[in-house]
Amino acid sequence: MILHAVERILQTLLVILIISFIAFMLIDTLGDPLGLLLPPDASLAERQALTERLGLDRPLLARFAEFLAGLPRGDLGISYRTQEEVSGMIAARLPATIELAAVALLISLVVAIPAGIYTGVFPRSRFARAIMFVSIAGVTLPNFVVGILLIAIFSVQLGWFPSFGRGATIVLGGWETGLLTRSGWHAIILPALTLSLFQMTFIIRLLRTQLMEIGRSEHIRFARARGLGEARLWFVYALRNALLPTITMLALQLGNIIAFSVVTESVFAWPGIGTLFLQSVQAADIRVIAIYLIFVGIVYMVINLLVELLYPLIDPRLRQRHA
Amino acid sequence: MTPLLSVRGLEVALIRDSQPVPVVANVSFDVAAGEVLGIVGESGAGKSVAGAALIDLLSPPLRRTAGEISLGADRLDRMTPRQLRRVRGGRVGFIFQDPMTSLNPVLTIGRQMADTMRAHLRLSRAEIRRRSLDWIERVGLPDPPRVLDAAPHELSGGQRQRVVIALALCAEPELVIADEPTTALDVSVQAQILTLLRRLHHETGSAMILITHDLGVVAKMCDRVAVMYAGRIVETAPTDRLFHAPRHHYTRGLLAATPAPDAAGRMQVAAIPGQMPGVGDLPTGCAFHPRCPRADALCREIRPELTPMQGALAACHHPLNAARAAEVTA
Repeated sequence: MILHAVERILQTLLVILIISFIAFMLIDTLGDPLGLLLPPDASLAERQALTERLGLDRPLLARFAEFLAGLPRGDLGISYRTQEEVSGMIAARLPATIELAAVALLISLVVAIPAGIYTGVFPRSRFARAIMFVSIAGVTLPNFVVGILLIAIFSVQLGWFPSFGRGATIVLGGWETGLLTRSGWHAIILPALTLSLFQMTFIIRLLRTQLMEIGRSEHIRFARARGLGEARLWFVYALRNALLPTITMLALQLGNIIAFSVVTESVFAWPGIGTLFLQSVQAADIRVIAIYLIFVGIVYMVINLLVELLYPLIDPRLRQRHA
Repeated sequence: MTPLLSVRGLEVALIRDSQPVPVVANVSFDVAAGEVLGIVGESGAGKSVAGAALIDLLSPPLRRTAGEISLGADRLDRMTPRQLRRVRGGRVGFIFQDPMTSLNPVLTIGRQMADTMRAHLRLSRAEIRRRSLDWIERVGLPDPPRVLDAAPHELSGGQRQRVVIALALCAEPELVIADEPTTALDVSVQAQILTLLRRLHHETGSAMILITHDLGVVAKMCDRVAVMYAGRIVETAPTDRLFHAPRHHYTRGLLAATPAPDAAGRMQVAAIPGQMPGVGDLPTGCAFHPRCPRADALCREIRPELTPMQGALAACHHPLNAARAAEVTA
């Protein structure tokens, strides 16, 4: 078990290292930082000074080593667009993205878990059919269409929620949060709903299919034949079996929510790292793009690692396989 | 003496596009306390469906459409779901066929057994633990504490079937329905499981319905046998009488289809020609007539009813062994 965990952690670190190298090569080979940062009429001495400041005169591996060493310290270099520290730019926008993702995940779980269980246990009921019908919309409509529709209805027509921005924020120990103000909550509802819709319908459908299949299995029939009550049958005997695939998908989805909030953030002008990424792409700000790539990679890898380390707690079959 | 279980006119249908197709029709039998009744037939004869219908374990599209089922003084067919739940496991234990799929893969054996007892008996945690250990030991598994903490995948097929048996019996039912309890097991393990079932049957004094396609199992275990063909019972008789003097031509065919050594010691099998008709595809008259050597116009047109014949019941216009059956009776 512990050996397995160590092995998985090392694998995760290796993948992050590879992602970092790819990102570094992007920075190193694409674009001309001097041309971007210096005015066209810069002198040779100015060019030389900046080359040294950026460390461009040293060998590739040395530069990569320095780049890597900088990552854990938060020393991510400077933006070619604004000459700001990249770490500062990301740190300023990360809370917005994380809060958006967290609220979106919360909305999807609160809706999807009961709805998924209900539609899985009573697949024939009228209400379950209605849920499934509506959920097709969630799976098929692209994020930006949902966002625009929500804005059209709830911001423009009804005027209930703002169509852009985070509302008022409060800085708490270096974390700029919008979750403590009324306008912050107002502002987060539409983008979080947009972001959650796909995951929500996805989890409903997954949980439903899982439960319907498990409900027909012999072990559930046997448990019923032993007189176990329906509640225990579904919530303990069936749900425990449905949990593993659901949590796996949830984790992947959480990665998606954080990594690909780009579209939603841009629709709602949400000041998170998705918006930062889009601005950087427009300005060909390679360093920020590369750091974003690493960030997304780390988010994915860490979430997957955590989930995988969680598996043996859910399914005893996985407890000794790697012992 | 009133039987423990009495089934009258049981019918199960496949509800497909609102047009019910009968799967089990007019099945009636009794099981006395302490008795072992065998239900035999080919796959698809409806024996498992009939067994599951007794405690309403059918899932759509199968549904019980008629029949009186009395267990002691209670009518199972009239019970509410809540009352039925108490009967399942508590008064009627059901042993499933395939031990590889019958146990919940993510819960320990101890948990599954404790939940089963708790559903029927008011017991303290310590008492549940004590009885669980006792049951694991009674079904012949070594190291009971380890088994209770084990997940199903840690046990072999034979061990799992012992666990399935313990789970079916741990709430002390009066009647046990065993649906092909040895079919999924290795031949060497089959005999052990049968021995175990017989021992537990004697120890608990419960009645048993043993559903099987294996006449060898019937010979070893059963007091009486009901032979099913195409959803109906075609013959019922005490076991030795059925083996020595079958009345129905299908029963004789089944017996002949069991491998047996001939005079020269070579194994002989005589297969019944043809196939059992499928659900919803029944011929007129006697369902067996297309495969029966004695079939005539009467058999093709009129379905024979179960008729008493010297202590047995058979549904045949031209029964076999009328004389020999009389001999055995005398």
